[in-house]
Amino acid sequence: MVLPMIEVRALGKVFQAETREVWAIGDVSFSVGKGEFVSIVGPSGCGKSTILNIVASFLAPTVGEVRVNGDLVREGTIPKGLGYIFQKDTVLPWYTVRKNISLGPWYRGASSDSVDRKVSSLLSMVGLQGCEEMYPHHLSGGMRQRVALLMTLACDPTILLLDEPFGALDTHTKLLLHKQLLEIWERLGQTIILVTHDLAEAITLSERVLVLSAPPSRVILDYRVDIPHPRDVFSIRESPEFTEHFQRVWHVLGEEFRHTDIAVSAGEGSPPHGES
Amino acid sequence: MARVEATIGAELAEHLGRRRRAARRERLRVSGAQLVILLAILGLWEYVTRIPWFIANTIFDPFFVSRPSLVAAKLYHWTFGKQAGYLWPHLYSTLVSTLLGLIVAVSTGFFVGLLLSQKRRLAAIFNPFIVGLNSLPRIAFVPLITMIFGLGIASKIVTAWFIVFFLVFFNTFKGGLNIEPHIINFCRGLGANDRQITRTVRIPNAAAWAFASLPNAVAFSLIGVVISEFVGSVTGMGYVIISALATLNAADMFAAIVVLSVTGISLVTIFRAVERRLLRWSPEFRDLK
Repeated sequence: MVLPMIEVRALGKVFQAETREVWAIGDVSFSVGKGEFVSIVGPSGCGKSTILNIVASFLAPTVGEVRVNGDLVREGTIPKGLGYIFQKDTVLPWYTVRKNISLGPWYRGASSDSVDRKVSSLLSMVGLQGCEEMYPHHLSGGMRQRVALLMTLACDPTILLLDEPFGALDTHTKLLLHKQLLEIWERLGQTIILVTHDLAEAITLSERVLVLSAPPSRVILDYRVDIPHPRDVFSIRESPEFTEHFQRVWHVLGEEFRHTDIAVSAGEGSPPHGES
Repeated sequence: MARVEATIGAELAEHLGRRRRAARRERLRVSGAQLVILLAILGLWEYVTRIPWFIANTIFDPFFVSRPSLVAAKLYHWTFGKQAGYLWPHLYSTLVSTLLGLIVAVSTGFFVGLLLSQKRRLAAIFNPFIVGLNSLPRIAFVPLITMIFGLGIASKIVTAWFIVFFLVFFNTFKGGLNIEPHIINFCRGLGANDRQITRTVRIPNAAAWAFASLPNAVAFSLIGVVISEFVGSVTGMGYVIISALATLNAADMFAAIVVLSVTGISLVTIFRAVERRLLRWSPEFRDLK
């Protein structure tokens, strides 16, 4: 059997809140094969984003372990070939679009000529050609999120961890970005984990959907979405398979939502990132 | 069809033109009102200080409050008239001290602010000293500074630095603490080491906050310099005012005040433009004060 690209084993995470401890991740195990596109959905506070943070080494697990490409992930040492996209804006406002996208290769010591060519081809890939010399404040939220994606893609990642990257966007922009993300994935075949609260998004994009329970979370459903790629993100929503898959997963997810009281669950997405 | 479009186009153009003209009229009206108020104040000042009853019974005695025509005559004398050459060395001295004080204060304030915002332990150690120094009436130190650094330009620069430093320091410090961890994590993910994070994230971010304090900093620098000149110096606009006090010459004082006001307003305007240029990438930082 081939080694999985990402392997999460018996992961658990307890957060120290002001006066009490919050047990966010109970016992989560799953693995993701090379080139696979997996989504993680679940109720608020179930630690979806935390799992990504642990895989990326930004946080240490309380128990359990994560292996990427067979190597154990240690806090603070980002696994090779890993790219991470946040929901929050990560484009640096003091640099132009070109400089932002060049940052990754520049950090890694690439020559500026090769980087310039790369920037232009990346921009045209997501329809942002001609924006090289603009500052981020000239761009809309959706355009900035695309630039953030390109900043990561410029480093040629083999793994992409997407932490609700489309959460703050309007429906139209979101669908456009879905289309572009799928095109990129279908062409380059990265291993992708997408964390989202939008089940339709998860089913539109991914090959597998993992449903987490309310905290302390476990994987309660590992669902294969057998709609072949390439998919058309606009028409897929009208197809009967989509509806069928949606309903099957929703049957589990909706129950979990019903039984999760937002007021007592930890604010999701607000673990103490990188607090030292 | 084409005719309909042409008509709509013409109407639209006319509408926009009307709006533009209305906006221009509104601006003119506001400036006009401001000019009228200014002229009224100057006229009243000029008029009242010529009426014997007011001179005898109120403070509107030209000995104390001078008179716009006298101030204008004085300014003319200082620049082109019989005392030509008197003003420039003093103005030059004040300006140079203000700018040097500003440069020293901005660079040290930025450096210390950035350093302390990154080193938690250093910040914890120095915090009470900085808060304490900041809450002191710093003007109280000016005589001491003059005693130590003498009557020359040095004590003016030190005073300006002492007043402006904290402004820049606190702004930079606040900015340095304000970086969101996810930005740092993101850049680390792109492959940045600590030095690269400092260079591409921490310094530009802190600089933005420091730049935002520039217009205020230059205004405070000028205040520091003039106070230092009051306390003890042989040049500068503050010296001109104190000399006028010694000779009980209100016209000299007002003339110096006018020169200082114009200087202050020009400096702030220039540095606001500098700030805008430096922060052209960031509309939100510009309004941060």
